[in-house]
Amino acid sequence: MTIINITLPFGIIKDISDYSRFINEILKYDITLNILKFSTGSNGINLLIDIPEDKIKTITESLRKSNIIVNKKGRVFIDDEKCVDCGACISLCPTDALHLDFEERLEFSYEKCIGCLLCLDSCPRYAIEEM
Amino acid sequence: MTKTYNEINEKIKNGDIVVVTAEEMVKVVEDKGIRVAAEEIDVVTTGTFGPMCSSGAFLNFGHADPPIKFEHLWLNDVHAYHGNAAVDCYIGCTRMSDVRRFEYGGGHVIEDLVSGKPIRLRGNSYTTDCYPLAEVDTEFTINEINQAILCNPRNAYQRYVCAVNSSDKTLYTYMGKLLPHFGNAHYAGTGSLSPLSNDPDYETIGIGTRIFLGGGIGYIIGEGTQHSPSDQFGTIFVKGDLKQMSQEYLRGVTYEKYGTSLFVGVGIPIPILNEGLAKKTAISDKELLTDVVDYGVPRRGRPKLKQVNYEELKSGFIDLNGKKVKCSSLSSLFYARRIAETLKKWIQGGEFFLNPPAERLPTETIFIPMKQTSKLKFVKDLKRDAIICYDDCDLKTVAEKIINQNMNHIIITDRNQNLKGIVTSFDVTKAIAKDKTDLDEIITKKVIVTTDNEPIDVAARKMKQNDISALPVIDEKNKVVGIITSEELM
Repeated sequence: MTIINITLPFGIIKDISDYSRFINEILKYDITLNILKFSTGSNGINLLIDIPEDKIKTITESLRKSNIIVNKKGRVFIDDEKCVDCGACISLCPTDALHLDFEERLEFSYEKCIGCLLCLDSCPRYAIEEM
Repeated sequence: MTKTYNEINEKIKNGDIVVVTAEEMVKVVEDKGIRVAAEEIDVVTTGTFGPMCSSGAFLNFGHADPPIKFEHLWLNDVHAYHGNAAVDCYIGCTRMSDVRRFEYGGGHVIEDLVSGKPIRLRGNSYTTDCYPLAEVDTEFTINEINQAILCNPRNAYQRYVCAVNSSDKTLYTYMGKLLPHFGNAHYAGTGSLSPLSNDPDYETIGIGTRIFLGGGIGYIIGEGTQHSPSDQFGTIFVKGDLKQMSQEYLRGVTYEKYGTSLFVGVGIPIPILNEGLAKKTAISDKELLTDVVDYGVPRRGRPKLKQVNYEELKSGFIDLNGKKVKCSSLSSLFYARRIAETLKKWIQGGEFFLNPPAERLPTETIFIPMKQTSKLKFVKDLKRDAIICYDDCDLKTVAEKIINQNMNHIIITDRNQNLKGIVTSFDVTKAIAKDKTDLDEIITKKVIVTTDNEPIDVAARKMKQNDISALPVIDEKNKVVGIITSEELM
């Protein structure tokens, strides 16, 4: 399973029928998915979903046709000057993008980050910044 | 086998001292046994680097001309405590800036000071015959003041709890950000490398013990506040010359929505005077236990869920009722190791000598709770009867109840008193303005609730955080047993 971040930009969903259309769009591919996080922000509605690796392409293409943003790439970076290698962010990271290396120093794997931003306000040194 | 401090210091002088870190000592004892380890190893070094809220510094600025006796003073807009002589002050690390609030606090002032940055000093006075100056606004660096003494009343907790959150919302605590429904876990301390865990009977750690503090040399000057060695929560009171310390081991930090603090680097050398100390310093992560505590319960007696050892904590996951909970540290093991290694190098290089304590620290004290003379008030003491409408009633019935009972909040239940929602007079007004007639359209279904045994302050904080003015009181079966509104709290 792989985690992707879906953003429904502000204005796309106006009523319940828009919701149904969006959900049906996903359901028609018969994909088991776990919704990990549902949040609203100034950019719209964000859904963090866990889907089978081999369905990513299908679902991404389908959603993008409806102007829904699908993101797999990382969205934060770590300021090494500020970081004190404590680990307060690690337990919040659902994909181990933030982890300790063999020396117990904080290491960030950009390709694993799915941009959930849960870590953003966990850093006591303000060393995690949104890109 | 016994060794004396003199013999150990003689070896340091001669350059044939054998020093290992507490992590290395575990292996030495495992390989060679306690007897041989006690003979071969002279000193074991320890280290920790984490948030220590009971930290701060005494500063003396020298006299102004004409002289001033501060009544209030600020360092980079952070209020410092003044209750000593004219130009002394104490800057505490958790005091937040009047201007930047959470973003910058006393801990950051100390970091900036130690790194040599200029600090703005503003202060005022009621003036006296001997201190006529009313105001000062100036700038200084650490080398332009008389004393800068790091003086921390409680550092280096022997161990600390592992924090989790059972509630249904994210908590921002001094133990970091805790996700709801046991979404993550945080712990503090460095386990087998932790200074006080390596001498739990305080044989060598006492008043006057010379230590690594903030990258310089410091001393233990007593038991720390809340020192509770009988349940392995010992602490130490330390001081050291801030001018000799380094920014690397003193870092200002902010825990979101909690406040500021200071990361302090502490390392203590343990002389291996006897086999008992060899055994104690060989303690492993597996043998060091701590409690998993639920911070979702906002009471002093937070529930202890289970015991875990530091090996499990350091593995990155703890098991909680069969669920694997991701776990990480608030302290830095990397820097703790660097501290233990630095202290080792100082001793090997003949720059750091060990001394017996002038006095032992107490080993029997316990940490007592606050005496509160006013009785703690609970929701059940202040709640009133809820005005209830059933979920099948119409809007008019609700409106009538609001008027007849003079109550802004109507609780909606089913016929069995089970909570279904809440409607306010504002909701009804809005419904009329928007031509809505169905109760179902205006009812708030996700209701923030309280219970009889919740302290009033906890209920009040719920209202404040959610910007609401009433909470239905429910029992364990979700049945409505009353309501508490902001009026009762006034």
